[in-house]
Amino acid sequence: MTLPTPTLTLTIDGELHSARPGATLLEAIREAGVALPTLCELPGLSSVGACRLCLVEVAGRPRPIAACVAAAEEGMEVRTDTEKLRLFRRTTVELLLAERNHVCAVCVMNGHCELQDLAAAHGVDHVEVEYLSPPDLRVDASHPRFAIDHNRCVLCTRCVRACAEVEGAHTWDVAGRGGASRVVTDMALPWGESITCTSCGKCVQACPTGALFEKGATVAEMVKHRERLRFLTAARQEGRWLLELEQPPSSRAERGASTTAGVGGRRDARDSSSPGLPGMAGPTKGSP
Amino acid sequence: MTADRRPRFATVWLGGCSGCHMSFLDLDERLLELAARADVVYSPIADAKEFPEDVDVTLVEGAVANADHLEAIRKVRANTRVLLAFGDCAVTGNVTALRNLVPLDQVLATAGYPELEAPVPKLLPRVLPVHKVVAVDAFLPGCPPSADQIWAAVTALLDGRPVPPGARFG
Amino acid sequence: MRRVVIDPVTRIEGHAKVTLYLDDAGEVADARFHVTEFRGFEKFCEGRPFWEMPGITARICGICPVSHLLASAKAGDQILGVAPPPAAEKLRRLMNLAQIVQSHALSFFHLSSPDLLLGFDVPAARRNLFGVAEAYPELARAGIRLRQFGQEVIAQLGGRRIHPSWAVPGGVRAPLSAEGRDAIRAGLPEQLEAITRTIARFKADEARFADEVASFGTFPSLFLSLVGEDGTWEHYGGALRLVDARGEVVEAAIDPARYAEYIAETAEPWSYLKFPYYRPAGPVDGMYRVGPLARLNVCRRFGTPLADAELAELKTRGEGAVLGSFHYHYARLVEILGCLELIERLLDDPDLLSTTCRASAGVNRLEGVGVSEAPRGTLFHHYEVDENGLLTAVDLLIATGQNNLAMNRTVAQVARRYVRGGRLDDGVLNRVEAGIRAYDPCLSCSTHAIGKMPLVVELVAADGTAIDEARR
Repeated sequence: MTLPTPTLTLTIDGELHSARPGATLLEAIREAGVALPTLCELPGLSSVGACRLCLVEVAGRPRPIAACVAAAEEGMEVRTDTEKLRLFRRTTVELLLAERNHVCAVCVMNGHCELQDLAAAHGVDHVEVEYLSPPDLRVDASHPRFAIDHNRCVLCTRCVRACAEVEGAHTWDVAGRGGASRVVTDMALPWGESITCTSCGKCVQACPTGALFEKGATVAEMVKHRERLRFLTAARQEGRWLLELEQPPSSRAERGASTTAGVGGRRDARDSSSPGLPGMAGPTKGSP
Repeated sequence: MTADRRPRFATVWLGGCSGCHMSFLDLDERLLELAARADVVYSPIADAKEFPEDVDVTLVEGAVANADHLEAIRKVRANTRVLLAFGDCAVTGNVTALRNLVPLDQVLATAGYPELEAPVPKLLPRVLPVHKVVAVDAFLPGCPPSADQIWAAVTALLDGRPVPPGARFG
Repeated sequence: MRRVVIDPVTRIEGHAKVTLYLDDAGEVADARFHVTEFRGFEKFCEGRPFWEMPGITARICGICPVSHLLASAKAGDQILGVAPPPAAEKLRRLMNLAQIVQSHALSFFHLSSPDLLLGFDVPAARRNLFGVAEAYPELARAGIRLRQFGQEVIAQLGGRRIHPSWAVPGGVRAPLSAEGRDAIRAGLPEQLEAITRTIARFKADEARFADEVASFGTFPSLFLSLVGEDGTWEHYGGALRLVDARGEVVEAAIDPARYAEYIAETAEPWSYLKFPYYRPAGPVDGMYRVGPLARLNVCRRFGTPLADAELAELKTRGEGAVLGSFHYHYARLVEILGCLELIERLLDDPDLLSTTCRASAGVNRLEGVGVSEAPRGTLFHHYEVDENGLLTAVDLLIATGQNNLAMNRTVAQVARRYVRGGRLDDGVLNRVEAGIRAYDPCLSCSTHAIGKMPLVVELVAADGTAIDEARR
């Protein structure tokens, strides 16, 4: 008979739960079956606590803390869903929507966007705070396969971490400070001039909004497979290959092949098949 | 609503594409049901020229983009009990507000107009969602919101209930 | 000099006003049709990727987003340098036919039928769709269901009725299933029957409108539309043809890419809508009309039996070309009929169900012009892009704008006919508006004109010293 591994015990929303030692508070909360909103967190990548959506109240702490970068501790008393936290989440989503120029109706990720989903989930049906409407955010379409629209970026840095931690190239990073921050490739070169980018597309799949996308994807067409990041890291670290797609897979591996309808009946054009698996061989659009 | 008369219902369009009104017309035969339970006292598809007083529910489509819209929405607010901003242009500015990212003189220069005069309304320096100009009682995002969502919102408001949640931007 | 203002013009799409200038005898000296909205698409689309343009330009208009989807996708086809697969063209055509049905149904039933079925002079409070429904419930219901049919075909193809994300550069995003085709087919008999009844009724009533027929835009003009090489009615492809007031061909096949050589524009300080005209003939003689009446004037046949019979009858209302804009209403009904027949024919094409419906490529040309027929007339999307596919210039010339000269002249004509001795009752002013409604203008679409510095043209001068102003 094996001895049980020592576990932590903590209270989540009034109920006792156990957690693995070394687990983050977010992991412990998820294992307890509670869903916390997140945006900058992505399984397979390190956590940075940037978006502040996973704030929880912990007894004895003066301020809410970001669960993704906090360690689960023995005896913690955690509240995940109070009036104040709900207000914080709505405000955070509003601030994200107000900071740059998010026009969901004509966005490549309309219908599949994590920011859009967060707005719907948290009752954000309009934005009270002033829109900043920065006028100088552009689209960089210089890369042969992918493009970035800075108007849609929420600075979650998932692209930075996906590229640095999973692909290893560290093409993306953040330049500037505060409201002037931008994600940049290499030393702020146009993406098409980057010498480190391997065109693997992991950043595109990691990006929660329509900021990073495949060229040629039309409005509401992009569907992303962020779960592939965890698939790759688990494969490397644990030698197991288990992939559960959150969205239906593409039925044709090559980019640019004819879309398929699925079976009969009325199609919601928002549920388009994925444009293709990143990093796989296949015809790219046009010639560079 | 006052209990002793039929509710007075209105729709208004500002700076948009009329898609939300078309989605409203996508109620199809429910339009006739609506007309049976409420008086449509003002709408672009009807011939009243002045926004009337004492309106119970007004649906507003479109962002506030020029001086005419500004005047119109203030009159709507002053004469309406419950104002629903419907559609992404009214709620967020949406595509109509994309011109906020370009200096106004450049926008007009591309179009090549001469010096414009009345009754052409001046463009506002910034396109604004409705709630940045007047108080809004309820919001229904979508580009456009579906007819089913519009029906659920309108029937709720006519009943004095809040708009059901669930509509999304885009 | 007295000014009378109609504000807003109702039962049209978009924002407009009319000013009538009356002299001391109460006669109309001049009239102006002011379009009072403008959003600036040509500018704010700069820097966007061209493959997003179908979705962005769809938001130009909520009645005819399909027009923009198609013209934009066609411009995109040219930038990609591809020919969409045959099924893609057929599917695009199917959606365009459906949108013509729904848009014309809206125009006739929801917007104009209060005038045509109830009367121009009935009290304003009744003069709307709900008034029509009270007086003629079955007819109102039939009109609603006719529009609904067109909308449902659009949704069947594109996933939603308004702003479907479906036509894209290279083709379309999703094919049609057999079940979808069968559902469309099942809906056709009811609509064919409804439009046939409506046309019969309209023609039976036509004698009541002799006055309006004689005064709603009865002047000569040129007419522009797409048409098949052999003179068969077209809405998606074919040749861009200009005919004159006798139906004689002026330009047999204008290359759409060179539209700017044939179409110029003027501007006035009193409207956001500019005044396109046929450049070689100048801003007065170069007035041309687009839309249903133009298409039926330019074509020789519809190509389907029921519509051809009606077309032959419509053409008897003119000599070579039908000039009176009142007949736009009849033209719209004929087009609904013909489009339903064409949908029926198209559904039998086995190619329609093919799943090969999208070509793909990169940027192979830096410029594209897409032209197609919106319900209200010919429209052009002209894009210039950089080698990465980002737009550097956008020019949009959209249907209704090309009727601006004719609409202004019509407003003046109607006003002169009905405003006598300063008589300005509600029915009179409604007729002035109805003169505009005949064109079924889409003003949200229209204020997107070619961005070149225009001439300013002085119209017939009204005494500029307006002292008194009457507001309706």
